[in-house]
Amino acid sequence: MSEITMKSPVDLDPLSASDGNVTLEDAYATSKIQVRAGAGTIAAALLSVSYGSSTRNDAGDLVCGSRPDEWTIYGDPGRADTIAASVPTEGFVTVIDITHGRAMLRISGSNAASALQKICNLDLSDELTPNGAVFSGSLGGVSCDWVRDDQSGETSFLISCERSFGKFLFIAVADACIEFGLHVPAGWELHGH
Amino acid sequence: MIVVPCPNCGPRNSGDLRPAGEVVSRPDPATCSLREWREYLYMRHNPADWVTETWYCRGGCRRYFTIERNTATNEIRGQEAS
Ligand SMILES: [Zn+2]
Repeated sequence: MSEITMKSPVDLDPLSASDGNVTLEDAYATSKIQVRAGAGTIAAALLSVSYGSSTRNDAGDLVCGSRPDEWTIYGDPGRADTIAASVPTEGFVTVIDITHGRAMLRISGSNAASALQKICNLDLSDELTPNGAVFSGSLGGVSCDWVRDDQSGETSFLISCERSFGKFLFIAVADACIEFGLHVPAGWELHGH
Repeated sequence: MIVVPCPNCGPRNSGDLRPAGEVVSRPDPATCSLREWREYLYMRHNPADWVTETWYCRGGCRRYFTIERNTATNEIRGQEAS
């Protein structure tokens, strides 16, 4: 059987505003492992982080409490098998590699929240979504899973959605960033600016 | 817009949730009459007053919960996980 090569639905170099206050990049290759674990299982005790928050483990992976009894672990590209193998599966536990089923983007910078706020109804203030916050909600009409994952003290969000909506989501977010100076290449804008 | 309090996610825009309608009790299909089954499936009280209803947190925690909502004012009270 031949190896199937997975390709990003976006596949575009990072975009940046001229003042650097908002950047947008495809993060599709991020390893994504979904764990569902009932209360009392070893996996639930090990992951432990509660719904709505996240933590980085010793291996540097981002462990997110994505829903009640559900966690998503994000890691560097190519780490999916290693991460999945690290989760004990005794009891009522499922561990699924969702890397290729989910598109993902990272938006960073002091204008990131303002740009996102244009196309979602979540309150992205520091009070309600501080660094590490994990939440879900629609962005540009697409159901997304979010993590506020600041980079070197700069506001940053990792946002994932179903793969088939990935390109649309990327374009919708890029479009929302145009008024903050993001240069969007031809064909990637929503309204033909 | 209605702000609906999810027991897991907190206050959410109703657009991120799905209303699943009035809470109705399910009769036993083995013993109930056709009329009772039909009423369970299709008939609702729909008052302009307080109603106990189920909501599904579609965009958030993907759990069902019940609230009491005044259908005339959209005031909401009493929330619990289903
Ligand atoms: Zn919820």
